[in-house]
Amino acid sequence: MIAVRARLDGVVRRFGSVEALAGASLEVRAGEVHALLGENGAGKSTLLSILGGMLRPDAGTIEVGGRQVALASPRVAWALGIGLVHQHFTLVPPLTVLENLALGRRLQPARLGRTLTRLRAEAERLVQRTGLDVRLDARVEQLAVGERQRVEILKVLLRDPSVLVLDEPTASLAPAEVASLFELLRGLAAEGRAIVLVAHKIDEVLAVADRVTILRAGRTTFSDVRSKVDAASLVRAMVGESVTDVAAAVGVVVVASGSARAAAVGVGVGASVTVDDAARRRPGGLVATLADVRMHASVGRPALEGVTLEVRRGEIVGIAGVQGNGQRELARVLSGRSLPDSGSVQLPAGVGFIPQDRTLEGLIGDFDLAENVALALHADPRFTGPAALRWDAVRAEAERVRTRFSIVASGTKAPAYALSGGNRQRLVIGRELLVASDLLVAEDPTRGLDVAATAFVHDQLRRATETSEGPGVVLISGDLDEVLALSDRLLVVSRGRLTPVPENARTREGVGALMLGDSSAAA
Amino acid sequence: MGSLLRTSLLGLALAFAACGGDAGPGEGDAPLRVALLTAGPVSDAGWYAGAYEGLLAIRDSLGAEVSHQQTRTPAEFDEAFLAYGSSGYDLVFAHGFEYQDAAMRAGEQFPATTIVVSGGGRVAANVIPFIFELEEGSYLAGMLAAGMSESGTIGMVGGVEIPPVQGTFRAFEAGARAVDPDVEILEAFTGNWDDVAAAKEAAAAQLARGADVIIHNVDAASFGVFQAVREVVGMGRTAWALGMNRDQNDVAPDVILGSAVIRIPEAFLEVALALQARGLGGEPIYEGASEGVVDFVLNPALSSRVPPDLVGSMDAARERIRSGELAVPRVPFVETESGIR
Amino acid sequence: MPRPDRFRLGAGWVGAGAVAATGAVSALLLIVGGYDPFEAAGAALGGAFGSADAFLSVTLVRSIPLMLTGLAVAFAFRAGVWNIGAEGQLLAGAIAAAWVGLVGRALPAWLLLPMLLALAAFAGALWALVPALMKVRLGVGEVITTLLMSFVAIELTAFVVRGPLQEPRGVFPQTEAIAAGARLPALVPGTRLHLGVVLAVVAAVAVAWLFRQTKLGFRMRAVGASPEAARMAGKIDTGPVTLVAFLGSGALAGLAGGVQVAGVTYALYEGYSPGWGYTAIAVALLAALDPLWVLATALLFGALEAGAAAMQRDAGIPAVWAVAVQALLILAVLALDQMRRRANAGSAGV
Repeated sequence: MIAVRARLDGVVRRFGSVEALAGASLEVRAGEVHALLGENGAGKSTLLSILGGMLRPDAGTIEVGGRQVALASPRVAWALGIGLVHQHFTLVPPLTVLENLALGRRLQPARLGRTLTRLRAEAERLVQRTGLDVRLDARVEQLAVGERQRVEILKVLLRDPSVLVLDEPTASLAPAEVASLFELLRGLAAEGRAIVLVAHKIDEVLAVADRVTILRAGRTTFSDVRSKVDAASLVRAMVGESVTDVAAAVGVVVVASGSARAAAVGVGVGASVTVDDAARRRPGGLVATLADVRMHASVGRPALEGVTLEVRRGEIVGIAGVQGNGQRELARVLSGRSLPDSGSVQLPAGVGFIPQDRTLEGLIGDFDLAENVALALHADPRFTGPAALRWDAVRAEAERVRTRFSIVASGTKAPAYALSGGNRQRLVIGRELLVASDLLVAEDPTRGLDVAATAFVHDQLRRATETSEGPGVVLISGDLDEVLALSDRLLVVSRGRLTPVPENARTREGVGALMLGDSSAAA
Repeated sequence: MGSLLRTSLLGLALAFAACGGDAGPGEGDAPLRVALLTAGPVSDAGWYAGAYEGLLAIRDSLGAEVSHQQTRTPAEFDEAFLAYGSSGYDLVFAHGFEYQDAAMRAGEQFPATTIVVSGGGRVAANVIPFIFELEEGSYLAGMLAAGMSESGTIGMVGGVEIPPVQGTFRAFEAGARAVDPDVEILEAFTGNWDDVAAAKEAAAAQLARGADVIIHNVDAASFGVFQAVREVVGMGRTAWALGMNRDQNDVAPDVILGSAVIRIPEAFLEVALALQARGLGGEPIYEGASEGVVDFVLNPALSSRVPPDLVGSMDAARERIRSGELAVPRVPFVETESGIR
Repeated sequence: MPRPDRFRLGAGWVGAGAVAATGAVSALLLIVGGYDPFEAAGAALGGAFGSADAFLSVTLVRSIPLMLTGLAVAFAFRAGVWNIGAEGQLLAGAIAAAWVGLVGRALPAWLLLPMLLALAAFAGALWALVPALMKVRLGVGEVITTLLMSFVAIELTAFVVRGPLQEPRGVFPQTEAIAAGARLPALVPGTRLHLGVVLAVVAAVAVAWLFRQTKLGFRMRAVGASPEAARMAGKIDTGPVTLVAFLGSGALAGLAGGVQVAGVTYALYEGYSPGWGYTAIAVALLAALDPLWVLATALLFGALEAGAAAMQRDAGIPAVWAVAVQALLILAVLALDQMRRRANAGSAGV
């Protein structure tokens, strides 16, 4: 008999007039990895926040270890053994990783040194056991998003929770890291812990979960053990019965399962889009050139060490790599946000940029939809007078973006912080496509998105490059399946250098090896 | 002496109250309305405290209706005069030179209100500078300082370098040199009236340079001067402080030898009586030793430490000042039609 | 998501809460001190609003420097520039204004007065330029530098009223009264209310328009809300925007100093400002950095000061109590502002 560690039943939570949860249930058992699935905005994050004690439900019951409890604060949840790995980072950038790990612990100033030494030993053991690559003495501000996520996980694991809750832990991890994380989670489950995990990729869910629960529109619509489900049934339970949706989503599932690229292009877009393969093979004129670009990262070794790249209209140039290999700097140089230390950069006028961290860099939470759209338009003469912004025109444009990209919001006056993760990304992509008449630089554009939203983003990128008049797209992503499926040309960035991927190496294994710096795979 | 003056003034007040008063403003049944403006706290045990006591004395002796406001900035001066002028106050004591410009404006606007500006420099029909000839007390203080100094060095710590303060220091110097022509005299200004730390630092610097008697003219910041002296005394040195403006002998009875005093309460009461009796007549008011308002008082707790012949020569000097025989240096600053006085 | 705009509705709520909380605690304090809180409140209300003259000549006149410095603070804070040196910029403006008003006696009023105000604003901006360049060029935090510049301005004021600008007799540490043509005319004849209040309202409307409608204002708000997003999504060069925020803020504070010299004191003194530039921070925060709300919160502080002075005069309550009540209000503002932020943050993570 498997012990139920935590049980949430009939949970309701409202934000103003919006019901984020309308009767959600979840049963977490010891020794199981429990995957929580659902579209963006289905209420997954809200449910996890309630489990972590950060939000209180308006109705419903919570039991932990068989007793009904009120999770009044994160501290209470902690005391009950529930450890939550956040989707948004909670680290202090100027501190080192080790110092961040020490935060939240009861520290005595006089014994700080000894505490840190003990903590270091503990962390090192854990790092060794889990294969999480974390440099304990690096300052967090030097780390890329993927590395920061690993620190978050490490931070929670150090407190040895009996219920470990992870909100999209794989979103920014490289394939090898995903595999090792899953191994870790399985190991932790085997120790008798309960693991709850929000994931978007169905193949990941199928690979790791013992039990699957699906939320739709704030309700639990499905919950069963892994052995009784397959990809198609999960997708149907998630997105409902709409045929095109399923087709689109399944297409991505197929891609994610590692099928051939041709199939991905053909199926992935479903019935709604036709792609002229011939046109894609004939890219247009040159729109951007980097020649021998070198750049230092804010600290430490050079981030870009002689990068040369040409981008043409109507092509998708995929750049794969593990976080922290220079893709961040490359994206900024390509989008005109940073100037390199040396080398020549030629960029067109109409450049769109989808930054990696949409919450911090892509949007301003306190700004409403129109103001966020204005971020891309405030220098465009069509939307400005001599001094004033033409807000009516900007707002009309924002409304077009909202309807065209199906952003769920009360209107263009809704603040961005009220949008769900998927809708935030739709807003960023919609806005950047407005200005990307020549070049679009997309950095991890589907990070943290669900199946349908990912399909939507991919569809948008393909549509933009349908003809040789369209913009050139540079897709910088740590998601191998994504770059394999979308790219006309594929390169790998490793330690600040770009390496083209030969046709015969366009497989997960081949690219993965190149990403880790193994050039023999390219030979 | 002080109690004599007080008694006589009280007697005058009672006599005046008895005959009903029919000459000045505030006649009839309406009580005299008197206000006080200070630029610092009335808890300074000195300049402002004396003024506040004067206000209370006017209330108690004359049955006047009184009010006090502490202003913190020049922007408030006009407002305060407006408040008192428009609500019909007969007499406003503006206790500091700072008020003089605003007082001139208010005097024009409210002819029925008499404004007395302590230390003021401008005169109008109803705006009257009120000058305390504290120099006469400072002269005696200078004599004591030079007579008591063993090192031959004495110090002066001032607040803002304005003529009334400069005047007291020039007189102090004159008094000191009358006793010891070779005495070395140090001088420092802190730039304000309330920075206790700055005053203490200035005094400590003078003590470090060998001064062993220090006089101040820094109002509320004087505590810093006394503290500095107390600290070197605690380290085994012999040093003395002198009080100013008000009898401060009980503020630090262990180190203050005596104080150059203005009997501000009595002077205020006298001004109020004069206003009731005959009006003030657009002339600056001077109050000094001969009026009994300014004096130097020894600290009774320490008077045994002062050589009798020094006390004797101070008493003699006091009499010569009162009789007008000895002219104490002054720094004139009141602008009148006949020039600066 | 349907949530109230956090700036506008929030400000009213915080303001009302702050006033209520302060009232309650102040009453308690007065009772403890042995004073009658009702008599005190009556005197305070009468002094602030009791008559047209009390309101126009006292409350409104006191709130004018707070309006302009409050705007200065809001202007900088909205762009993420923590200029806490409005005090020094105000003094720089006051010095410039006094200088123009003294040396420009020969000039006609239509030229002299605008010149005085323009130079006051310029001097304030100049005073903000040093911390601005240190921030933009060297990355030195402005909290320390703006504050230090205020101390320099205080000393400079003390110097000029004893040196170059001292009244001709050289007796008192203050300037001579400025030329009649350099003075701001009365807005309502027979009161002390001067044209400066119109200037403050115009400035508030202009700043509000700048923030809501213009490219520059939008860029300032973007940099203030999130410098990363402004750079990455907005492709905004934050340096020039930051510079504008410093200079504009300094100019508004300098204008406050000029208006005070030309409208109220007509002369410069040592210890000229009772801390308008610091009170302005509370004024701006209470207004949630909304320029139009700054007018209202400055009026509230003006009324409080006027009431405190009246409490001294008419209810015999010592000056320190008035200061204590003001400090209480500021504390209440900060506490309630923080509570409002938390309430917002609690429902933001959907």
